[in-house]
Amino acid sequence: MHRLHQLMPVPARAADFVLRFALALVLFYASADKLLHPQDFAAIVTGYHVLPEALVNPVAIWLPWLELLLGLSLVSGYWSEGAVTLTAGLFAVFWVLMIVSAARGIDVNCGCFSTKPADPSAEPTPMLFYIGRDAMLLGLALFTAWVRLTVAAEGAK
Amino acid sequence: MRLVPRIFGQALGLVALSAVLAFAVNAARPDGLPLAQAAAKPAPSAVQLSQASGEIALKDAALLFLSGRAVFLDARSQFEFQLGHIQGALSLPPRNFAADFQDIKPLLAGKEAVIAYCDGPDCPLSHSLAKHLIDAGVKNVYVLVNGWSLWQAEKLPVAKGAAAPISQTSQAPQAVQTTQAPQAVQTTQAAQTVKKGKASASKAKGQEKLCTDCTN
Repeated sequence: MHRLHQLMPVPARAADFVLRFALALVLFYASADKLLHPQDFAAIVTGYHVLPEALVNPVAIWLPWLELLLGLSLVSGYWSEGAVTLTAGLFAVFWVLMIVSAARGIDVNCGCFSTKPADPSAEPTPMLFYIGRDAMLLGLALFTAWVRLTVAAEGAK
Repeated sequence: MRLVPRIFGQALGLVALSAVLAFAVNAARPDGLPLAQAAAKPAPSAVQLSQASGEIALKDAALLFLSGRAVFLDARSQFEFQLGHIQGALSLPPRNFAADFQDIKPLLAGKEAVIAYCDGPDCPLSHSLAKHLIDAGVKNVYVLVNGWSLWQAEKLPVAKGAAAPISQTSQAPQAVQTTQAPQAVQTTQAAQTVKKGKASASKAKGQEKLCTDCTN
């Protein structure tokens, strides 16, 4: 708690809430389109070529709900320590997946926030953009996790 | 620190709860995904043949030839067949149909298409052969109109000489398509090299000789 106060100009609890809220917004935004279009999201999951066929549909069904629930948990504060840790882990997995896909030469449809296929007439988004964006999101999640867990540890004392 | 077990417990709870919600909603919604079956179907074949027999385009015939999914039946005379024919094709002039069909019939099993051809845009032999085949109960019979001319014009793999005994010809298209077809397309010289260099492979094809422009 002491270090947190030194680092941040705002009270730790306020920072904790703002960060959780921001992370929750990202998660809500990410889950919405996938919840509405499971079929398209399943096709995107397939495109990553990391899951066996049998797991594609279950993951495509489950992942958006996990994201939604994580967002709700972060905003409400219920189970938020577990949620923030899980979110950081999830973003880490996504980030590694983007890097692995780029290394394998698979120009995947990110499927991060939209299930729509990329506009073929538009310049394709370079994988580096997705990797950079995911890195920033992972950074946000890790920072939120650190603040949240520090506040929680402090509160438990 | 009690924080770690708490984190694990909450994370597990969130995973379980989201899974229950997800699969319950998926089961209830009309556009839910099937659990057992993958969403992605294998890419459809580039060759879309009509169910009914009919004419086949050269590109489709060539693709089926490369992947060994078709049997080619040469409707011209034995003499013309010996001068040159589509690699791996079987000679079956319509007037010999009654005599030869029983020998050829087993070779048609399991193929996606049975392609009859002769030479010239108005050549009736291939249509006549196709009719015989359909009458004999063969499915997926197609006519490659002007087949021999088109095949040569595209420098697709050809062979000349009498066909090998039928028992051996069934292997010929496979043996040819992977190893020799690309070289055979190049020049007659290349074909000769292939002939010398891969004697064992040629042997498998019986009396057939590779060539690219058999009419010369």
